[in-house]
Amino acid sequence: MAAKIALIWPEIALFITTCLVMLLGLSPNKQWRSLCLPASMVGLTVAGVLAAMGMGVGGPVGDTPLPYLPGFIKVTVAGVGLLLLLLQAGLIDRREEALIASGRAFSALRTNRAEYFALVLFSLTGLMLCASAGDLIWLFLALELTSLPTYVMVAMSSSRNRAQEAGVKYFYLGALGAATFLYGFVMLYGGTGTLQLATMAEVIAAEGVNTITMAGLLLSVLGLAFKIAAVPMHFYTADVYQGAAAPVSAFLAFVPKTAGFVALLLICSAVGWTHGESGNALPEALRIMLWVMAAVTMTVGNVLAILQNSIKRVLAYSSIAHSGYMLVGLLAGPGDGTFGGSGVSAVLFYLAAYGVMNTGAFAVIACLERKAADRGEPMEVEDFDDLRGLWKREPALGVLLAIVTLSLLGFPPLLGFMAKLPLFTSGISAGEIALVVVLGLNSAIAAYYYLRIVKAAMIDDPRGEPGAADSAVHHPAYNLRLVTGLCSALGVVALAILAGQLAERVTEASGYIAPVGPSQPVGSATVLETETLPVQLPMT
Amino acid sequence: MLLGVTDPVAYLPLAVILMAAIGFSVMNLVLTRILGPNRAGETKALTYESGMEAVGTARKRFNVRFYLIAMVFLVFDVEVVFLYPWAATFANLEVGSDDRLLWLARILFFLFTTIVAFLYGLRKGVFRFD
Repeated sequence: MAAKIALIWPEIALFITTCLVMLLGLSPNKQWRSLCLPASMVGLTVAGVLAAMGMGVGGPVGDTPLPYLPGFIKVTVAGVGLLLLLLQAGLIDRREEALIASGRAFSALRTNRAEYFALVLFSLTGLMLCASAGDLIWLFLALELTSLPTYVMVAMSSSRNRAQEAGVKYFYLGALGAATFLYGFVMLYGGTGTLQLATMAEVIAAEGVNTITMAGLLLSVLGLAFKIAAVPMHFYTADVYQGAAAPVSAFLAFVPKTAGFVALLLICSAVGWTHGESGNALPEALRIMLWVMAAVTMTVGNVLAILQNSIKRVLAYSSIAHSGYMLVGLLAGPGDGTFGGSGVSAVLFYLAAYGVMNTGAFAVIACLERKAADRGEPMEVEDFDDLRGLWKREPALGVLLAIVTLSLLGFPPLLGFMAKLPLFTSGISAGEIALVVVLGLNSAIAAYYYLRIVKAAMIDDPRGEPGAADSAVHHPAYNLRLVTGLCSALGVVALAILAGQLAERVTEASGYIAPVGPSQPVGSATVLETETLPVQLPMT
Repeated sequence: MLLGVTDPVAYLPLAVILMAAIGFSVMNLVLTRILGPNRAGETKALTYESGMEAVGTARKRFNVRFYLIAMVFLVFDVEVVFLYPWAATFANLEVGSDDRLLWLARILFFLFTTIVAFLYGLRKGVFRFD
């Protein structure tokens, strides 16, 4: 038990920061209030450092068949989380702060800053806890801690009705997804008699997958498809990403997706990539489901992205497509454990890369805004037309957008290419040739809309006269958001150069210990896992 | 170990209960429609058929403070719910053992979160009645 606590020091640090931020943001003093963002970033950095230190200790650090996973996920979350946090600058309480500056008295009830940053940090804490999960209850609670704050963040992110609508849609569909995978977890418990992932892996290795376990697996995967925005649970994605403010959409594209993939990896690792004819695949029914899901998800995402006119919707559908790509790695499994052959390490690499480049794309959109016709809150710049000639008006933003978009496309020297390559190789070494062909075709389809963004920004002429009433202006937090974008573009280039190092890290993190039968007879003592807690009441 | 039952026949009683439940509710609806007398009228359509006269509408604005108080109450409520099993277990742990210290640390951490929630409510002005 004490060992488990040693594993979650980063989460504890993050949680304490959350508590601090929740109180800081309610201070009537403007200086204190504006400390919310720096304090959150410091807390997240500390959590990241703690996770990195824990990772260096060596030896298994988790209690699942993927024991090296938590450290890498937490460091990645801290890294991308810092970018995402910086992007949230200037999003919340904009109108309220302006009113206070012009003399209105501060009212704690009317500001949302404390809650907002606390919600962001809660969500990141939940994501880190997902990675530490050793049993299904922990996993479920961590997944919910990741998701629940995001529902509120979507609704809070803008005062426009579209944001509220997006929040409600996201909440109801999220509840449906959570109910589905919770039901799946229950069936997994019914089928294997344990909640512990490690024990479950032993039971399945010894007794095989029975009907109830299989039903549980399929339901769990279906429910988790909501978190990663995969078909058939993808319907909310475009509306929610469009309705929420761009910084929140960037958050949604990384945090719940990572949580979903961590959960999927943990559950698949408990089933084991030890079935099938060659003995290195998932059970046939699960394999077929993931196969169809991966193929349909990438195709739907890419084809629908072509039809969109709003950059945010394009990025939403591209987020669906990227989930489809990563499902290939999940399907392929750890393979021979090398970087080129392991689908698990490919998924981890892709998650980190996707987080970095996608944040950059949203950061560019978040930098600009347009005055609203109805004198309300300024509108976000999101149509292709708004981005036309970005290179001529805002050279920095234009180049930034081009770099991250080309990386999302998987253009050879950039990070996106380095990330996509192992997905191909792992798929091939797992023998999923047809799926790899679908993956290749989809990468080609994706080129159309990514290049369309690049063309609008870099080649087309600007629309209208410069300085016209409806032309885009800088967001008040332009500087910080530009820095976020620059960091992201820098990450895309730097991580591509350091890809070898990153590959080493993910190969380490994807170490998979294939379960072999139960090490001890699985009886009622294992089922009623009570650790050593003396729960009997004193006999009086 | 399999906790669930894979044999479909074992689920037969469940199906019978389900059908009985559905059948009973449908039967009640149908039978009341067939057998029950039906006397509609103005008096019958009143909110309280018994003669109580309805005053105003139910759509009233409540002070938002009620909700805030309810939420703060929930914080303490949940805290107390967790304190009982904690105390019952703690009493059974060996005096001076590491477990005891761990359990104390856990509940203190939990109480700390409650205090933060309380301070948050305080700063938000939940307890200000004016």
